[in-house]
Amino acid sequence: MSRALHKNGLAILTIAIALTFAGCSSSPQVTRMDAAEVKDLSGAWNDTDSQQVSEEMIRDVLGRAWLEEFARKQKGQPAVIVGEVANLSHEHINVNTFVADMERALINSSKVQFVASSTERKEVRSERKDQDLHASEATRKPMGQELGADFMLKGTINTIIDASGKTQVRYYQVDLTLISLADNRKVWVGQKKIKKLVERSNLRF
Amino acid sequence: MAVSLVWRRVALFLAVISVGAFQAGCATYSDSFGLIEQNLAARQYDAALQEIEKQANSKTDRALYLLNKGMVQRMAGDFAGSNQTLEKAKSEMERLYAASVSENALSFLINDATVSYAGDDYEQVLVHLFMALNYLELGQPLDARVEALQVDIKLREIGEKIPENKFTEDALSRYITGMIYEELGEWSDAMIAYRKAYGAYKKYRENYGVPVPDMLKRDLLRLAQRQGLNDELEQYRKEFGIEPQAETDDIAGEEGELVFILNNGLAPIKREKIVSAAAPQASVVVDSREHRKHEVTPMPYMVSIALPYYESRPKGIASARISLLGKQTTTQMMEDIDAIARASLDSRMTAITARSVARMVAKIKIQDVVDRTGRNKDSELAAELLGSFLVRVATMVTERADTRSWLTLPANVQMAKLSVPPGSYTVTVELMSEGGQAIATREYPEIVIKKKRKTYLTQHWVPDMGASLTRRRWK
Repeated sequence: MSRALHKNGLAILTIAIALTFAGCSSSPQVTRMDAAEVKDLSGAWNDTDSQQVSEEMIRDVLGRAWLEEFARKQKGQPAVIVGEVANLSHEHINVNTFVADMERALINSSKVQFVASSTERKEVRSERKDQDLHASEATRKPMGQELGADFMLKGTINTIIDASGKTQVRYYQVDLTLISLADNRKVWVGQKKIKKLVERSNLRF
Repeated sequence: MAVSLVWRRVALFLAVISVGAFQAGCATYSDSFGLIEQNLAARQYDAALQEIEKQANSKTDRALYLLNKGMVQRMAGDFAGSNQTLEKAKSEMERLYAASVSENALSFLINDATVSYAGDDYEQVLVHLFMALNYLELGQPLDARVEALQVDIKLREIGEKIPENKFTEDALSRYITGMIYEELGEWSDAMIAYRKAYGAYKKYRENYGVPVPDMLKRDLLRLAQRQGLNDELEQYRKEFGIEPQAETDDIAGEEGELVFILNNGLAPIKREKIVSAAAPQASVVVDSREHRKHEVTPMPYMVSIALPYYESRPKGIASARISLLGKQTTTQMMEDIDAIARASLDSRMTAITARSVARMVAKIKIQDVVDRTGRNKDSELAAELLGSFLVRVATMVTERADTRSWLTLPANVQMAKLSVPPGSYTVTVELMSEGGQAIATREYPEIVIKKKRKTYLTQHWVPDMGASLTRRRWK
């Protein structure tokens, strides 16, 4: 009696333990990372790509002739507005991160001024309208005093994917253009290419 | 001796009874869906979402939980929330691309439902389609374009993986892709997508009996004409027997377009079919405790095979009639998901059956090992019978079919388009029965049509099927 039950009991116990472990999950582990540290998880567009793009673009846009040329002709800093950066890639990419990086670097270089984008402007205008009614005479900001932009920053993100089985080559190309609002001239074109080889695993535990 | 034979029979009888009782009480995945279905039919989406939320902690069905949740959020009109959920579903399915060693080992002993559900091929494609439609309804064609590109990658991957697979092209996804490109002014890409859609619809006609939609024919003619592809235009003109319309009549002119999408009914549901039998064993000679050799007939092996099959759900309506500004049009069949799901299961049935048979052989072996251990001369009859009884119950109870599938998908998707001048309108939708009678009317007020733009409007119709629910449980 005892031996037969013993064997069955052992089998049942093993299954019970296996099921218990399958159901339990440990609490998440958090490790702080440096913002510049490269950590590629899925192969999709990530913070590192965004940072690489903004670094490259900032270096390029500040080192080119258009700035000096504008300063020479117009005697002042050019005002730039951010237009649409169209995401034509196969991923939902947040373009705001590197556009904001660029904006910050350009403003801090004291060589370029930025004008608020059209959605930001709407909010500011409604505030100005509100001031018109409620703010005191001395602090009230008048309408019709906005700074008109000289250039518009536009861009696209494109991707080319080549895949075979579990291997995938992802190629990203970010193009940014500064277009003169006065005469539609393109004064600067920046480009950053990123290429990744992504190999998916066939097995997991 | 005679007593032990009687007890063996009794034990077997008990095993069969308890298995029957257990299987009736223990539901498969698809059985748990009844309440959600009723909520959807009553258009009580919050209640349905609450019910779905109960599956949130399932480890193996996480992808399904997310797919169902995203789809119901979409029905409720929460397109942004739906996209967030479906995006999670996509990454979960991507994670499951790698086959699990432990889960597959377990599935060899227990059943197929122990493996994490990564979604059927067609389900993996349709996630992108419904996300694209969500983005279109939100008025974000660029984001919809991202989904269109992902569909392309996915379809290439499927086509490469299983060349003999029937489902290598998704016609509706291709067609929507073309519409997205056209709206964004990318004419040559739109033309390529329409051509692929046409190729896919020709296959649909062959495999599922879905004809090439008239609107696709007109789009092909219009774009071929626009792009100056004269030979191709001539070919389409001959094939379709229709003439391209003048540019002013369509979206290329001053008008906008209403695109109405009818998600009709719910996708078919998987049920299980169990075949059980008792296979008699040959008599064996054993040494009893009294050291007397005698012959016994051991308890028969229990064999059981559970296989899934698809059961269509009633559709309720045949099509929808759209009225706007005195213009009327009826929806056309664009994608027969019911047929695609069935074809997909058919193509995998051989492999499912083979796995089930292999599992049965393994389980007979286990029964044999337990019986032999039990017949040890030291053991008592009761212990022997208990061991044999338990292992038979376990064999039968664990053999369940994998009835998981994305159940909130529609049975089919239909579409209608109407060109109207820009403005804000009330759109009237009449749901038509098989006999052409309007059985329900819905009005959508303040639908804004913009110049040269497409406005998307979706309705998911789930018929009330209380009758079929009770029938199913006690079939």
